[in-house]
Amino acid sequence: MKLTNYITLFAVLFAMASSACMQSNNNGALGGSAAEKVYVAPGEQDEFYAFLSGGYSGNLTVYGLPSGRMLKEIPVFSQFPTSGYGYSEETKPMFNTSYGFIPWDDLHHPDISQTNGELDGRWIFANANNTPRIARISLETFETEEIIEIPNSAGNHSSSFITENTEYVVAGTRFSVPVPQRDISIDEYKGNFKGAVSFVSVDEESGRMDLSFQIMMPGFNYDLGHPGRGDSHGWFFFTTYNTEEANTLLEVNASQNDKDFIAAINWKKAEEYIAQGKFTTMESEYAHNVYDEHTHTGTSTMKKEVRVLDPTELPGLVYFLPTPKSPHGVDVDPSGEYIVGAGKLSASLTVHSFSNMMEAIENENFDGDAYGIPILNFENVTAGQVESAGLGPLHTEFDGRGNAYTTFFISSEVVKWELGSWEVIDRKPTYYSVGHLMIPGGNSREPFGKYVVAMNKITKDRYLPTGPEMEHSAQLYDISGEKMELLLDFPTHGEPHYAAGAPASLIAPRSKKFYQLEDNEHPYAVMNEGETKVVREGNSNVVHVYMSTIRSHFAPDNIEGIKVGDKVYFHITNLEQDFDVPHGVAMIGANTSELLIMPGQTKTFLWEPEKVGVWPFYCTDFCSALHQEMQGYVRVSPRNSNIELSWSLDGE
Amino acid sequence: MKTTTFLTTLLLLATAACSSKSEQSSSNLPNNTPLGQASVVDEDSDPNILQVAIGSEDHSTLVAAVQAAGIEHVLVNAGPLTVFAPVNAAFDALPAGTVEDLLKPENKGKLAGILTKHAAPGSYNIDGLKKEASKGRKLYMADGSYLTVTTEGDEVFVEGAKVIASIQTSNGIINVVDKVIL
Amino acid sequence: MKTSKYLMIGGSLLLLSLFVMPMWNITLKAPQYPDSIGMNIWINKIEDMNPNDIKNINLMNHYVGMAEIPEHMKEFDIFPIVIGSMAALGVLFGFIGNKNLYLTWFILMCILGAAGMYDFYLWEYEYGHNLDPKAAIKIPGQGYQPPLIGVKEILNFTAISKPLMGAYLMFVGMFMTLYAYFYERKLEKIEA
Repeated sequence: MKLTNYITLFAVLFAMASSACMQSNNNGALGGSAAEKVYVAPGEQDEFYAFLSGGYSGNLTVYGLPSGRMLKEIPVFSQFPTSGYGYSEETKPMFNTSYGFIPWDDLHHPDISQTNGELDGRWIFANANNTPRIARISLETFETEEIIEIPNSAGNHSSSFITENTEYVVAGTRFSVPVPQRDISIDEYKGNFKGAVSFVSVDEESGRMDLSFQIMMPGFNYDLGHPGRGDSHGWFFFTTYNTEEANTLLEVNASQNDKDFIAAINWKKAEEYIAQGKFTTMESEYAHNVYDEHTHTGTSTMKKEVRVLDPTELPGLVYFLPTPKSPHGVDVDPSGEYIVGAGKLSASLTVHSFSNMMEAIENENFDGDAYGIPILNFENVTAGQVESAGLGPLHTEFDGRGNAYTTFFISSEVVKWELGSWEVIDRKPTYYSVGHLMIPGGNSREPFGKYVVAMNKITKDRYLPTGPEMEHSAQLYDISGEKMELLLDFPTHGEPHYAAGAPASLIAPRSKKFYQLEDNEHPYAVMNEGETKVVREGNSNVVHVYMSTIRSHFAPDNIEGIKVGDKVYFHITNLEQDFDVPHGVAMIGANTSELLIMPGQTKTFLWEPEKVGVWPFYCTDFCSALHQEMQGYVRVSPRNSNIELSWSLDGE
Repeated sequence: MKTTTFLTTLLLLATAACSSKSEQSSSNLPNNTPLGQASVVDEDSDPNILQVAIGSEDHSTLVAAVQAAGIEHVLVNAGPLTVFAPVNAAFDALPAGTVEDLLKPENKGKLAGILTKHAAPGSYNIDGLKKEASKGRKLYMADGSYLTVTTEGDEVFVEGAKVIASIQTSNGIINVVDKVIL
Repeated sequence: MKTSKYLMIGGSLLLLSLFVMPMWNITLKAPQYPDSIGMNIWINKIEDMNPNDIKNINLMNHYVGMAEIPEHMKEFDIFPIVIGSMAALGVLFGFIGNKNLYLTWFILMCILGAAGMYDFYLWEYEYGHNLDPKAAIKIPGQGYQPPLIGVKEILNFTAISKPLMGAYLMFVGMFMTLYAYFYERKLEKIEA
């Protein structure tokens, strides 16, 4: 053998050895240290975005993975003094509902928009559980752009999941209610209470939502939902519990039936029925609130009617799949074939097969009906059971490599099992009592199966104690290998229910740096300091201040001629056009929050001075080296004073 | 030949360096809570099912069995849980050798199965059990089985085991029973 | 036509590229500007390197009392006329085909170029030294004049001044006219 041959051989062997080595590094438990895997060096950025629901905070929090660093809290359903969301005059309409202004809600299940069953990273949707609503948040601005109220519903829990081309975002009803609402005895629950399931269409270009139709389902509790994909695209699956239709002490009375249902809804069929006019138009009242990025203003419109389909009258629209013990999560695998029901009181998981279901429908393998809706035969639709997987199964996600990961609340663990063989492969404890879990893209055809985040309900001793109330804990596991590996434990904000994640490369490049001033169409915006002014509406007590900010002053910063009892609207435009240079503003004694104004944006707060004097306002965001100098004064005179309105900056 | 040896050595070194790196990496996280939530030290809160059982002399066999099955964390879970807790005498009444056999590591799964048959999701004190019996409802247990509740006069039986006492704990109810439910 | 003529005419015409592409660039680098900010200088205007850069440079500079970067300067009127005339003159000389005219054009161009650079230097000096006495931040002895060409540290910024494609094409053009002169001279020697 020639020396050159040796060298070649050596090179080849070494390459093989190194590649084997690289593989073992990727191999979960055999990989590098946990600390190395989650360490994102200063100046480096995370690999994934994770959007965690804030639960009762009403907001959505943004985390980086694998570091577990919190990057932002996006206000959605709750007023947020940090930015002035819900306090500024522009964003108050976003909180409008048929019940009036609602300052809070319980945000549960974020879902990222998809095209062809894959994440497209354009928007993220989230549901309000208490006063049923769905919000759409832009992933360019990370701002809530739209909120639509869901009528005829209560406890909007089985929401806001999307179909695989974002045709629809759905809403369900966890607390069935009389439809239409009326004054009847609670004992008359059975038959009178309904659980509306709503399909809200999403405009392909603008993302604008519209309540397309509702399917008026029997009065069960519709708990969670997931879309079909691939072959099962066109179907939507919802878990039900309380098929007993109990209306009191549900912890006992809703746990009596051996099996509840997964409702399989054929929404393509629903579209046909709508096209054929087989719907009734019901009078209803619900708010549709839209925030315009150019006027920087939200507007609320009251809608008056909704199209309703009756599944008991329309064959082929809905089928029930019997599923043991009050199923909570219903999750569809990336291929769209398997529908996993997590009977939360059961020790096993039930997996239905979509092709079995279609065959059972074809052959009419029915096991009776509920209110005229066919119940499919359990044996005919089930593909398998994951036996003795754990106690208290809740949610399942998929890694795209044929494995599923299910959380078990009571036994406090994440269990990895294989689709098809239904064998348990691995289990890892969580700290403690895990609710949801999330694999980026786990609810799509193409999951990014590198990490799973377990979101726990109980924290106890995981962190330094902070009094009786602790933030919930989350754990990050590496799932790239055969066995899961615990990497990181981090606190989360509010109560994360579901979460959605996506690779940073899908979202980061499109993130907006600031708003173009020239595109600002706010009616009270100013384009430069020359346009700033103070105007009194006729002889009324309404005064509009057209104010601007730029490093490091307000224009104008001295205002006189304001009187006690005036309603002074400060419309403030941030003239900056530079990434991450917001200015804030706050007025002494103003009964509202500060405003944080992004470059190119205009925001408005209302001040109703009650006392004579000279009152300062200032910039609340440390904007620049001369931030402390960024302030101004307003002189407030008695109501009967005849001081003319005047304003100035540097005496000019 | 010399060259071949040299190359082989190098190759082995390369592989060894690589594999040794892999080995050290697997479990470098300290596990401060080997029993999950059962490891949490908290002496101020009301005691939970596990803590009450540990404190009861009459349930030392049950506690030993729970520990052998490694399911302590289930009994400290938020619940609510109802546990039917056989007294030591109930275990003694089993055929000789049964308990010893179940405590063997290889029977851990079987033991866990038997114990979870003694736990039900939900809160059922004696009054609650009587109500279930009067409505003819069965109790759904954590292992997936159903147990029959019956009454005789003022006494309540679960699958033939008599409920001697009912103790309220922070995360559920312990119903002391005189038999092991198999 | 002779090769030298082509060179002379082509070289002169390359000056016209200054009308369609920027001539010079000044870039400022600092940690808080990961993308850098800067301006591109044309013969008739100054433009943002990235959107809003000039606005942000002005904002930053007002703290030390520097004037805003002017939207219009007298040079913006003069330069296009000079460049246009020189291009026309070069083409004319090319058609005449006299090598001494080539050299004359080249030397004239060098003088004008030097004058332009001197003018640029004067503007930079004025820009970096004429500070508002009411400035918020005053550092005695500190000037803010950007480098004529090359790299210079100014407080926390690194200022880089360099020619851009327009200037490079102009240099190539000038070189071509010089080469035309030598080429013609050599040819005459061989013929002679």
